[in-house]
Amino acid sequence: MSKTAMHRAFPVLSRRQLLAGAAGVSAAAMLPVKAWAQEGQLNIRVYTEPDDFDPVDASGFGEALLYGAIYRNLIQYEPGDDWSYRLDLAESIEQTSDTTIEFTLKEGQMWSDGYGEITAEDVAFTFERILDPEMNSRILPDIGTLARVEVTGRYSGVFHFDEAFAPFWWIALPYLAGTIVCKAAIEEAGGRITTEVPPTVSGPYRVRELRPGERWVLERNEDYTGDIPADYERLDIIYIGDEAAAEIALEAGDLDFTEVSPGSVGRLQGNPPEGTAMSMHPSLFYVWVGMNMEHPKFQDIRVRQALQYAINVNAIIEAAWYGVAEPSTGIIAPGLIGNRPESLIPPQGDPQRAAELLAEAGVENLEVTLNVLNDVTFTTAAQVMQATMAQAGIQLNIEVHESGSFWTLGVEADGDRWQDLEMIMNRFSMLPDPSYATAWFISEQIGDWNWERFSNEEFDRLHREAGTETDDARRDEMYRRAQDIMEESGAYRFITHGVTPNLYHDNTVPGTRPDGLPLAQYFRRA
Amino acid sequence: MSQLRHTLIGRLARDPLAVMAIVIITTLVTMAVFANLIAPYDYTAMHMSERFAAPSAEFWLGTDNLGRDTFSRLLQGGRIALTVGLTAVVISGLIGLVLGMIAGFGPRWLDNALLFFFDTLRAYPTIILALALAALMPRGLTTVIVVVVITSFAEYGRVVRTQTLSLKHSEFILAERAMGASFGRIVFHHILPNVLGPFFILAAMNLPVVITIEAGMSFLGVGVPPGTPSWGATLKDGFDHIRQTPWLILSGGLPLILVTLGFTFLGEALRDQLDPKLRSGR
Repeated sequence: MSKTAMHRAFPVLSRRQLLAGAAGVSAAAMLPVKAWAQEGQLNIRVYTEPDDFDPVDASGFGEALLYGAIYRNLIQYEPGDDWSYRLDLAESIEQTSDTTIEFTLKEGQMWSDGYGEITAEDVAFTFERILDPEMNSRILPDIGTLARVEVTGRYSGVFHFDEAFAPFWWIALPYLAGTIVCKAAIEEAGGRITTEVPPTVSGPYRVRELRPGERWVLERNEDYTGDIPADYERLDIIYIGDEAAAEIALEAGDLDFTEVSPGSVGRLQGNPPEGTAMSMHPSLFYVWVGMNMEHPKFQDIRVRQALQYAINVNAIIEAAWYGVAEPSTGIIAPGLIGNRPESLIPPQGDPQRAAELLAEAGVENLEVTLNVLNDVTFTTAAQVMQATMAQAGIQLNIEVHESGSFWTLGVEADGDRWQDLEMIMNRFSMLPDPSYATAWFISEQIGDWNWERFSNEEFDRLHREAGTETDDARRDEMYRRAQDIMEESGAYRFITHGVTPNLYHDNTVPGTRPDGLPLAQYFRRA
Repeated sequence: MSQLRHTLIGRLARDPLAVMAIVIITTLVTMAVFANLIAPYDYTAMHMSERFAAPSAEFWLGTDNLGRDTFSRLLQGGRIALTVGLTAVVISGLIGLVLGMIAGFGPRWLDNALLFFFDTLRAYPTIILALALAALMPRGLTTVIVVVVITSFAEYGRVVRTQTLSLKHSEFILAERAMGASFGRIVFHHILPNVLGPFFILAAMNLPVVITIEAGMSFLGVGVPPGTPSWGATLKDGFDHIRQTPWLILSGGLPLILVTLGFTFLGEALRDQLDPKLRSGR
């Protein structure tokens, strides 16, 4: 082939033409393109990917969303603005004494894949797995003082507790620990459900496909026998960590429902994109800055207290939450038993007091490292802290982590990184009972969820006793005192509970908990 | 040599592309070096009531999500870009120069081994390799430089090896050898000066690539820590808040465009002047 002929066949571009072309393609790629989800398909975003299909390994929101769609509980949270629950598998369930709850299952409720009827044996098996020390379940605290589940008939049974445990109704039965699994299927699989094969399910959806790091594809479960059947042929739970990216994905039609960043609230409330609607919910989450009490830098309480005073919570809320949230007084949100009216250290902090405390401790040129999630709200908050702490003469370095790395920082089972952990900005999910907040900070949780390695006998006792206390006023007092102890330790600076702003397509009627978190099984077409 | 340099400078001065490149680069370097004198604000100062401000007489390129002056931050970002760019290019260039000449001059097995090493490194997608390396090291400017050096020295090694190989068998080198010239004389008097031309062209072309890698790493959250005003971090802030203001991403992209154009034009002009084949074709 001659050179000329070759040029005709493969037009040769100069570097400048190539640059111009690339710029054109980039510009075209930035144009908004609507790719509406297929009819009958719902795409919901999760900010943290579920671990697997086994409730015994569950740890939070990702699993709660997935399990709500594919499994069933005795009772379920009711979507709406007030916390309440409805009967699901249970035909009846009641507290028959301080230490017993009796239940009767609806008859004819079926497992998928020919595993037959759901019976009281499945219920007992579910909770006994969590109690089994060999399973090493991270949700063991959720079931509190539960001792055993007695099967009294094919459809009936009794929960027996060592002591009264009121939170069981709110944090166990309708949530992760109360997710009933199929005894026969799990025993057949060797005792644990992995992600290798789709699980035997009972919910309105079943698992069709798993694309790790991207999406969990569910489809309508034709074997479902409950009273809230799937309204979509397909439900995709899509993992997008970044809120800004999720917002763009929703506007492009790749998502039907997502939480958006607080920074977008002002713009979206006044002028939501065409075909979308927004809702705002008070959040139960709690955000705090913690200090590893065993780290050499933080063993002197005056240093920890100096850092508490050096953090200006008001400035953080204004900058990172755009003023749409309120400073928190602890880990228990307003409206719940145990919420404190105010924190011991004022939200605006006091840089001068911080400097004095450091001088008293004989510490000069303090340099500390704060670990945060790679999330715009948290990195913004960290930068504000960096600026305000500098006023007290403290140099704050910021370490940003991806989700996978972040959530193992303080976990002893995941390596030695907990030893070098200094400060951490963290956010935990929450349920409508205060024991679900204090449970993660008791001494037994050190190295698991208690990354501050905070240990206090009085705190542990209050948590234990408040869980068995049935008098609300007394419980309120106990949980308030528990948070005082946390703050007095110097290891915690409480930041906010935030808000949950949701954006969704108006062809969807979302089903959400009062705190705005989605309950996928309740989503309906408009 | 001095006359040659003057001839080169003279030729570059007559090339409009080279003049444009030198103007852009000189402006950017001057702004970066004198950033503290030029910047109207402290680049860390927050003006919360002015967040997401559009460009104005008060804030020439607007402000970011914390009300920090974007122009002042971009000036500081220029320092980071040049520090990373120049340091990485010098270190990776030197490593590539030495390894490339060893490969070109060494025994066949060593050449093959080094070639395999260069090609293995070059076969990895740069940003993926950078992400993997960054995950293993503490976050910061030093890490960024180390990552950039590791991802780019093989390119220099490959070019220098090829040049060395072609020179090694040329007649004048054979004549030198026949006359008993030492190894050092051959390398430093004959090979090195002839290799430096393409080496400098590659270095000039590579500098914006290196700066873009740094910006890319910061954009992806594995570069400099939050709060550091690198150009990539400014772009990331712009992306995160693109719904609030378009100015941040436009302003953050501007210096990257200019530095890429400046050094690419300079590289092209140098190539036009230093490559005898291109020159004779004119």
